[in-house]
Amino acid sequence: MLQQLANGVFSGSIYALFAIGFTLVFGILRHLNLAHAAIFTTGAFLGIEIATRTGIPFWALLPVVAGIGAVAGVVLERIAFRPLAGRDDEHFAGLISSVAFGGVLIALIQARYGTEPKSFPYEYFPNRLFEVAGLRVTLTQLVTLGLALALMLGLAWLVSATPLGRAMRAVAENPTAARVVGVNVDRVTAGTYALSSGLGTVAGALLALNIGQTDRGLGASIELIGFAVIILGGLGSLWGAMAAGIVLGLAEALTIHYFDSTWKGLVPFALLFAVLILRPRGLFGHIKVREV
Amino acid sequence: MSEPILSVESLSVSYGRVEAVRDVSFSVPEGGMVALVGANGAGKSSVLAAVSGLMRPGKGTVRLDGRDITRWPAHRRVGAGLVLVPEGRQILGTLTVAENLALGAHRRRAQAVPAGELYELFPVLAERRDLPAGALSGGEQQMLAIARAMISRPRVVLMDEPSMGLAPKMVDEVFGVIDKIRASDVTVVLVEQNARRALRTADTGHVLETGAIAHSGPASELLKDPKVVQAYLGVE
Repeated sequence: MLQQLANGVFSGSIYALFAIGFTLVFGILRHLNLAHAAIFTTGAFLGIEIATRTGIPFWALLPVVAGIGAVAGVVLERIAFRPLAGRDDEHFAGLISSVAFGGVLIALIQARYGTEPKSFPYEYFPNRLFEVAGLRVTLTQLVTLGLALALMLGLAWLVSATPLGRAMRAVAENPTAARVVGVNVDRVTAGTYALSSGLGTVAGALLALNIGQTDRGLGASIELIGFAVIILGGLGSLWGAMAAGIVLGLAEALTIHYFDSTWKGLVPFALLFAVLILRPRGLFGHIKVREV
Repeated sequence: MSEPILSVESLSVSYGRVEAVRDVSFSVPEGGMVALVGANGAGKSSVLAAVSGLMRPGKGTVRLDGRDITRWPAHRRVGAGLVLVPEGRQILGTLTVAENLALGAHRRRAQAVPAGELYELFPVLAERRDLPAGALSGGEQQMLAIARAMISRPRVVLMDEPSMGLAPKMVDEVFGVIDKIRASDVTVVLVEQNARRALRTADTGHVLETGAIAHSGPASELLKDPKVVQAYLGVE
């Protein structure tokens, strides 16, 4: 039982890391970026390819993956969102063009890596097992949880306490007012996508590391639960995404414990509907990114 | 007087097919003050939107220190010392007073007025510095909008209807602040519906009528011009 709960926390932290990148873009720019799952998958393949080719250690791998992800995010915004700015159907059109961008990314992944799963090199990450108070946890799980928490808290700090975060919150509230005071809205937009996609690729690489391998369906497998996390936490809420990620991870684990894994897909969504009936704006719906 | 610090040449601004500003030209010498007055919808705010970079003009040129800045984005103009106090204040209500001021300063950090000095000028903001700006009264928000522009030590301030919607006592305070800004040799372009008050403060006035300049002259003369008085100032 406790073991299942611990596992729930570990997978929940990856859900949360996936979700905060998505919810950040929505909170600041009101864009629904449906290419986020493809960015996540890209991170997993990039991590494996770079680790295999260069053998660089894990602590150096993640910043490289995040950097490439950040660039991909800037390109994504340029191609899928910026040309639509100012149109009446800007938000809906962006949703569709981001689906298309994601489709292109997945097709490129298939062209480069084929359809077979790819794995990290054998014993790339030290395979250590700890027993803490009767719980069995791997070093990978501990590192994943620690990194996910650190990245989420780091993002919350960046949004609430740095000049970039201040400019982001200004853009979130009123882009015209932000321009009046001299905020370079285009640059803040690019920066928001860079952060979001950087976090998304790191989340993908971390999940692949935990599973040991990836295939092109990795993003699709987490996408729905990631969106459930975002809605449950309240769209645009960073703290909500963090809490809801863990809650859904736990809900999944408890489902497996009490029923069996065939019910795993159902319970998080049942929980989502239950919460939405009771609190239509999500658990943290009143705390938006701009108020973090 | 030497080269004007700000000049607007043959400016036209359109919203779709509607031309809001037609062939407007004026200039302001350094340290001078120009008032743009006229009825609602005469195009005054559109002139300021084009000068501040919030809108692209259809035609015409905007020059700062003789440099053509017509195609510059808004943030670059702020960096060069051309700052707008927008209509309806446009303060960021979810950010604190201090954060609004910090945003105002960030393009010109080297020149920025230290916050402490600014708070002496605007004591009411000092007391409320950690409150969300949305919690301020209308008059306080207007003071914040002006302070947020002044913190960057601008060379030219564009003010769009700063007295709109304020109680008479606050209107006096706003014009008191404008006098202080003038005294510090900052160039001011003031758009106001309160035409009499604006012309009493400014050196030069331009009266806009359906997007074009109908009358121009020294503000003191416009105040006495029977046509202007009858159409725009009314009987006092």
